[in-house]
Amino acid sequence: MTLATVDYLVLALYFAFVLGIGWLLKKKVTTSSDFLTSGRSLPVWITSLAFIATNLGAQEVIGMCGSGAKYGVMQAHFYWLGAIPAMLFVGLFMMPFYYGSRARSVPEYLKLRFDEKTRTFNAVSFAVMTIFSSGVSMYVLGKLFQMVLGWNFLASVLLAAAIVLIYTSLGGLTSAIYNEVLQFFLIVLGFSPLAILAVMKAGGWSGIQQTLAPKWTHAWQYMGNAADNPMGSDMFSVVVGLGFVLSFGYWCTNFLVVQRAMAADSMSSARRTPIIAAFPKIFMPLIVILPGIAALALAKMGSGYSLPMLDGKLDADMVMITLMGKFYPAGLLGVGITALMASFMSGMAGNVTAFNTVWTYDIYQGHIRKGAPDSHYLMVGRISTLVGTLLSVAAAYVAQFYKNIMDLLQLVFGVVNAPLFATFLLGMFWMRATGLGAFSGLVSGTAAGLLTLALTVAENKGGWLGNLHTFRSTMAQNFWIAIVSFGICFVVTVLLSVLGKPKPAAELKGLVWGATDMPKTGEEPWHKRPVPLALVAAAICIAINIWLW
Amino acid sequence: MWDLRLPAGLFFTGLGIILCAYGLLFPGVRAQMAADINVNLYSGISMGVFGIVLLLLAWRKRA
Repeated sequence: MTLATVDYLVLALYFAFVLGIGWLLKKKVTTSSDFLTSGRSLPVWITSLAFIATNLGAQEVIGMCGSGAKYGVMQAHFYWLGAIPAMLFVGLFMMPFYYGSRARSVPEYLKLRFDEKTRTFNAVSFAVMTIFSSGVSMYVLGKLFQMVLGWNFLASVLLAAAIVLIYTSLGGLTSAIYNEVLQFFLIVLGFSPLAILAVMKAGGWSGIQQTLAPKWTHAWQYMGNAADNPMGSDMFSVVVGLGFVLSFGYWCTNFLVVQRAMAADSMSSARRTPIIAAFPKIFMPLIVILPGIAALALAKMGSGYSLPMLDGKLDADMVMITLMGKFYPAGLLGVGITALMASFMSGMAGNVTAFNTVWTYDIYQGHIRKGAPDSHYLMVGRISTLVGTLLSVAAAYVAQFYKNIMDLLQLVFGVVNAPLFATFLLGMFWMRATGLGAFSGLVSGTAAGLLTLALTVAENKGGWLGNLHTFRSTMAQNFWIAIVSFGICFVVTVLLSVLGKPKPAAELKGLVWGATDMPKTGEEPWHKRPVPLALVAAAICIAINIWLW
Repeated sequence: MWDLRLPAGLFFTGLGIILCAYGLLFPGVRAQMAADINVNLYSGISMGVFGIVLLLLAWRKRA
């Protein structure tokens, strides 16, 4: 595959605009709060699109399309079951505490609610995770461009990273968020022709249903037994592991996404951010997963497209780009490549801006230097943006040793994110939960997750300390790791909290359910109130699931 | 704060113009599995329309 001049023109136009947006926002940044938290000033339509765009990194887009070809419609559970309920929950029930507490980051909420050690544990593990996922994303993109377009791995990775670095250093979080909105539009418009063309070629949805066995085109019907469905997972592990633990652990506690809502201009906007984001999120599988399913059908019907294979197995990460090669002529191909670049940048900028905030406020200001003038923290924020980018480039090399990116990310989330939701759930809704309980729960939950990974095997991965159980897929293994670490964290936190002495109710005002006045929303029209909006989103999501049962 | 719809609208209008022009000037540039459709022209039109809608929204707010 080679790019024509027009393709490079499209890419150049995009680079000019993202850098231009950063440049235009430069003079808005005068304090560390402007740089790291957007000074809580952004309108809700912008924060909500950024909320999903920051999650829509290159590894997500490429991985979802590949997984569509691997697991079929069930992959959409990563959206309908694995995102929507948690997004509605965080908007309705958790945002009043995040936004209302005036914490500047998720770890800082933990400090206000519990104590310094719980915050530091979360801040450090989060910082490591953001660098890691940013590096994975970078690796996927660099490798893809190297294999398909013949670009130099290091050169393309460094170019993309440099552009993200420039616009995030210039305009801080606002610049990252504004660009994420532009990137979101580009991802949708750049990838939807692929879904339309591939599905048309496969004879529409009915053509796909006729070509593929029913287990590929149904979301729930074959989940009763792990052996019956492509994912190799049973209903319990999918619903509890993915739909509850992993999903809520990610969407409700991951500062990467929560930061977007916290940058909103009011409590009402902050609450509506994830709820409004749920609407486009419900339909994202049409753009990122459906082309993968169509690819599988096209390959089966002998249409001239064959699935990319590596060592006799599906090379999932190559599905999207090989489809593009068959369906996109020069011109639109440039838009497709640019959209991939945009997804990479939105994911990376999300990670970098979350990393610099956590580093500056939770680690540097919390432990290394307290009470310095604000200009000092602004400088630290800018430096940590640079350091974060450089560390991500380094992580891109570490990522080379792993194959399936989605599975790997789930694995990391399983260990880092899963116990966290137990901590936040108890912290926000149970006044008795104590700092010691939360901290011990987090540490033991994380350790239990790692231990499960070390004692079970799936697809020849894990099992470093022995093998107590073999899972059908790494995905099933990840779901169970998440369930175990959540369960341990929950139980340990409750036990130690019951034995300890709770904080007095006066100190918990604004932080815990029962000690906080919930925001009133009675007078506004329905589309400006969180609850009716969430009910509409839930109804749409349920209807789609019934249709694809 | 300036309106994000302005630069986003300009970007997609520009993108639409490039794709439409390319699709009209080189109608023979087709992809292997979409040889019967002028993909560039149609996607160019949709992106251009989206860009113009964003510009109109930004302009309406300013007026």
